[in-house]
Amino acid sequence: MPETAATLTENRQRLELTALSSPAVLFTVGMIAFPVIYTIWLSFQSFSTTGQQSFAGVANYTKLVSDSEFWNGLWVTFALYILSLALQLFFGIWLALLLFHARRLSGIVRSLFISPFMMPPVVAGMMWLVILDPSLGAANYLLTSLGLPPSDWLASPTWVIPTVALIDTWQWAPYVALIVLGGLQSLPPSVYEAAQIDGASPFKTFQRITLPLLLPTIVTATILRSVDLLRFFDIIYITTQGGPGNASNTLNIYGFRVGFEFFNFGYASALMLTLTTIVFGAVLAFNRLRNAVAW
Amino acid sequence: MRTKAFAAQIMLSVIAVGAASVVHAADFDWKKFQGKTVTFLANNNPVSAALLTHKADFEKLTGITLKVDGYQEQQMRQRLITVMNAHSDEVDVFMTLPSREGQQFAASGWYADLSPMTKSAVAGDYDYAGLSQALLKAATYDGKLTSMPMNIEGPVLYYRTDIFKKCGVDEPKTIADVEAAAKKIKACDSAITPFVSRGLKPALPYTFSNLLHNMGGSYMADGKSALCSPKDKAALDTYSRLLRDYGPPGVVNYSFPQISALYRAGRAAMDFESSNELRTVMEGGERLKDTKLIPFPAGDGGQVPTAIGWGMAVSAYSKQQDAAWYFVQWATSPAVQKLMAVQGIAPPRSAVANDPDYRKWIDEEPVRKEWQAALDVLAAKGSSEVGYPIVANPESREFVGQAVQDLILNQKTVDQACAEADKSLDALIAKK
Repeated sequence: MPETAATLTENRQRLELTALSSPAVLFTVGMIAFPVIYTIWLSFQSFSTTGQQSFAGVANYTKLVSDSEFWNGLWVTFALYILSLALQLFFGIWLALLLFHARRLSGIVRSLFISPFMMPPVVAGMMWLVILDPSLGAANYLLTSLGLPPSDWLASPTWVIPTVALIDTWQWAPYVALIVLGGLQSLPPSVYEAAQIDGASPFKTFQRITLPLLLPTIVTATILRSVDLLRFFDIIYITTQGGPGNASNTLNIYGFRVGFEFFNFGYASALMLTLTTIVFGAVLAFNRLRNAVAW
Repeated sequence: MRTKAFAAQIMLSVIAVGAASVVHAADFDWKKFQGKTVTFLANNNPVSAALLTHKADFEKLTGITLKVDGYQEQQMRQRLITVMNAHSDEVDVFMTLPSREGQQFAASGWYADLSPMTKSAVAGDYDYAGLSQALLKAATYDGKLTSMPMNIEGPVLYYRTDIFKKCGVDEPKTIADVEAAAKKIKACDSAITPFVSRGLKPALPYTFSNLLHNMGGSYMADGKSALCSPKDKAALDTYSRLLRDYGPPGVVNYSFPQISALYRAGRAAMDFESSNELRTVMEGGERLKDTKLIPFPAGDGGQVPTAIGWGMAVSAYSKQQDAAWYFVQWATSPAVQKLMAVQGIAPPRSAVANDPDYRKWIDEEPVRKEWQAALDVLAAKGSSEVGYPIVANPESREFVGQAVQDLILNQKTVDQACAEADKSLDALIAKK
C-alpha cells in the first residue's frame, strides 16, 4: 500500500526526534554503562598492597563467600533496612495524615515538620553524634533529668542499629510523608462520600478505603527508600564508622573501607556489585508489587 | 691609627657579611613562580590550621596562589587515593603521615623525590640540617626523601592537678600508678571520668602503641604477629581495662575531638591524647591553671613514647613540582615553624625549640613548659611505630583496634581477641 503524506511526515518526525535526542541518550548511557562495566572488570582483578593489579578470575567472589565480615555486613544491612523502612513508613504515613487533616496548620509549621530531609545527611549525622554523646550529649541529660537511665546509644553494640534507624527515620520520614500526602490528595472524594453515607467509622474508612487506595503510593515510597536504605552510608560513616566493633558495618561501609583504606579495589568492586544486585532485586520485586496493587 | 685600622676591619667585615647576605637573598628568587597556582590537599587538624593562618604571607612572598582543599583526615586520604590512582595532577602538595602510609605510598610511587630540591632550590636560611634527622630518616625510602617534617607530636598524659589533690593522688610514675590513680578518683568523685583515651577502632593504635612499647611489647617477632605474646597480652588487657573500667561511656566511638571536648569541659581527670591537642584543650582558658602534662608513664619496658610527625609531600604526578616545592619549603622553614610553634605546634627543629621568642611563649605558662619537656622526651626516646611496620600498616591498625574493642566491650577474652587478631595479621603480613 503506498505511503500517505501523513505517514511520511510521521516517519520523518520520528527520525528527527531520534536524531535530536540520541546524543543525550548516548551520553547518559555512556555515563552509566562505563562505570558499571569498569567496576565489573575491576572485580576480576587482584590488587597488591601497593596497588599493583593482576587478573584474578573469580577469586574475589569466592573470597566473598568465605568472608565473615561480608556476612556480618549483609546481616547489618538487612537489619537496618527492615527496621528503618518499617519506622519510616509508619511515621511517614502518620505525618501525611496529620498534614492532610490539619489543614489549618500554617505553612511555617508544615515546613518545620518536613525540614529534616532537606538537611545534608552529613550535617544530620554530626548533629546527632553530639546529641547522643553518652557523656556530654543532650539526650542522656534529658533522660537523667527525667529519672531514666542513660544509654550508650551509638556506642552500644546492641543499640547502635536501632539508634541509627531512628536518626534516619527522623530525617526521612518527612520525605515519605510528602509522597504519601500527594497520594492522599489525589484520592477520589466520591468513595469517602459513599462511606460516610454508609456510616463507616473513621478507623474503618482508613482501614478499608484509604489504606488500600494508598498502597501504590506507599509502594512507590518503599521503592525510593529501599534504594537508599540498602546503600546506607552517610549517617554511619559520620557517627560510628561501622563500629562499635563491626556492629554497624553495612556492606557499603565495608566495601568503601576495603577500597579506599586498604587499597583492595578488586575485592571492593566485587562487594559493591553484590550490593548493587541486591538493590536491583529489591527494586524489581517492589515494582511487581506496585503493579499488583495498582488501581 | 690602630683604632682606625681596627674600625676599618670591623667595617669591612660588616660590609662583607652584608654583601654575602645580599648575595644569598639575591640567589634565591621567591617570585620565580609568580602567577602560578599550587593546590594543597590539607588535613583539617591543628597543624594545618596553624600553618594556614599565614597563607596570605606565602602568597605575598611568592606571588603564587595557594588553593587549599581541606578535609577531615580520613576523607583527605580517600580524596588523595582517588587522585593518585587516577595519576591526576590536580593535587600538587599534600599532607602525609610517614608512620602510617609512608611505606605504602612510597612503594606506589606517589611521592616526588625531594632530595634534589633540598640541595639545589632552597633559600639560604632554610637550614635543612636543623630539621629533625630522625623524622627525615623516617620519611626516606630507598634513598628518596618523600616529605619534609611539619611538626613532632605524640601522645602525652594531661591530668587535672586539682582533682588529683582533692582525691589524694600523686603524679603517676608508672602505668600501674595510672590505674591506681584512676581507681582512687573513681571512688572519690563519681561525676568525673578518671581516664579517657582513644577507643575508636582505627584511631586507638596511636595511643595503644605507646602503652604497648612502655610495657615492653612489640607488634612483631620473627616476622610474625606477636599480639599473643605475654607482654602484648598484658598491654591489650591494661589498655582495654583502663577504658572499660575508668573511661567514659561510649568510649569505643572516641577519638581526639571527643576526648579533648570531654577534658576541656572539666569532665575527665586524665586525658591520654596527642600533644597537638594542647591548643584545643587550653581553649577558653579553663584548663590552663589546673592541668599538668607528662609523657605517658613508664612500664616494664621503660619509657618509649610514640613520636611521629606530619609531613608535606609533593605529588609525583604534579606538573609543577618546582612551584609546589616552594610552598613546602616555605611551610617547613624556621620562620614559619616558629610562628606555628607559638600556636601549640611543636617544631621539628631544635633551633626553633630554642628560639628566644618561642621560649618566652613557653615560659608564660607552666603547662607549656611541661608540654615542651614532654616533647623533648619524645624527640629523644620516641618510636614512630604505630601499628605494624609493614606496607599494609593502615589495615593492620584495624585488627589491633578490633582486638582492643572486643575487650572493652567484653565480647572476647584476651586470649580469644589476640588469637583472632594474630591470625588476620599473619595473613596480612604474608600478603604482597
